[in-house]
Amino acid sequence: MRQLLLAWMVVASISAQTGPFGAFTAANDIGAPPLKGSAQFDPATRQYRVTGTGADIWAKADQFHYLWREMSGNFSVIATTEFLTDGNPHRKASIMLRKTLDADAAFLHLAIHGDGMPSVQFRSTKADTTNTLDFPIEGPGTFTLKLVREGATVTVFVAKGRASLRELGHTTNQLGSPVLVGLGVASHSTEALNTVLFSNVSVNQLPAPAATR
Amino acid sequence: MSRLGPRFVLVCMLSVSVSAQGGNLGIFATSGDVGSPANAGSTQFDAATNQYRITGSGANIWAKQDQFQFVWRELTGDFIATATLRFLGEGNEHRKAGIMVRQSLATDATYADVVIHGSGMPGLQWRSRQGEDTNTFDLPIDGPGTFALKMVRTGVKTYLYVGREGAAPKEIVHTEVAMTGPVLVGLFVCAHDAARSETVIFSDVSVEARPAAMARPQ
Repeated sequence: MRQLLLAWMVVASISAQTGPFGAFTAANDIGAPPLKGSAQFDPATRQYRVTGTGADIWAKADQFHYLWREMSGNFSVIATTEFLTDGNPHRKASIMLRKTLDADAAFLHLAIHGDGMPSVQFRSTKADTTNTLDFPIEGPGTFTLKLVREGATVTVFVAKGRASLRELGHTTNQLGSPVLVGLGVASHSTEALNTVLFSNVSVNQLPAPAATR
Repeated sequence: MSRLGPRFVLVCMLSVSVSAQGGNLGIFATSGDVGSPANAGSTQFDAATNQYRITGSGANIWAKQDQFQFVWRELTGDFIATATLRFLGEGNEHRKAGIMVRQSLATDATYADVVIHGSGMPGLQWRSRQGEDTNTFDLPIDGPGTFALKMVRTGVKTYLYVGREGAAPKEIVHTEVAMTGPVLVGLFVCAHDAARSETVIFSDVSVEARPAAMARPQ
């Protein structure tokens, strides 16, 4: 039994792409929401079906479901999001960078709300309040999100439907390395579940920056 | 002054508070340097052209400490402010000019601004609470030029609108920054270099206070 466990751990660590969570290593409810979330990876379609619940990702503590892996240095993440359930207009699906699994951990995410509002939100230091940047709403739909981290700079891109990715801009963060990188889903209600289908997900390590500018 | 009598003074005060024009700082009440930069800044209002010529020095408006030239008026509640600006001369690519709402004149005060950098990079920057680090969101750069800026403040929400080279300002993004009671609203210039001074021309400047009832639902 121990041998089997060890073998499974080795396989999981060396081939995350084919593990139970695809490109990610684990899935957790953050902030102990009263309902249970879940994450399923379909190797055939390479899609992730993530169900999250919880009051929100906001203020000084978060409740949501998080599918994550650990990374260091520079990287980019792309995901196409589709809300499969109705619910609060401010339910969220996001690409999230997070320092730890604590409910009040420092984080930064590129989120799409249920009503179609893209946002960049961050908690700069543990237990601090959340900052938000909210972009004009084009209405609900399928959105492709892209987040690129290079050094302390995080650049975000969004596309609605089949449109090309458009750069919204960039901000700075001090999350450092290692950092958790993944997909987050919150229902903005402790009594509701929110299911989001993530497709065309890619997580790519980028080379360290060349000489400083 | 005494020859004109109190009624004339009252009329002047009313016109300052309700619309443009007025004293030698146009629609604003006061100008000064925040954060004691080594080189003094200045603000001149040209009543003939309705333009403000603002010269500012200062290391930066960033992190936990700001240095810049500010011309402001006090108001309470929601407002819309506009300004069209262009930098004169050359300087640090991150020299800054724009519209700021600020809780106080302290160097580390809570604030939010809509800013154009010398490189032409627009941004929305804010310090959530006095003494904290600045937050920023910077937009893609189309290059230097003349920019029309608009800041809309509705409750804690602070909106950035930008238009470049004659385009009408377009809503880009908003953030939330809580302030209390009266706030200072005005124009700012920072050289991003304590040894330099930069001059910016502002035109089409307006500040319109709005009743809180007009707040946009969200």
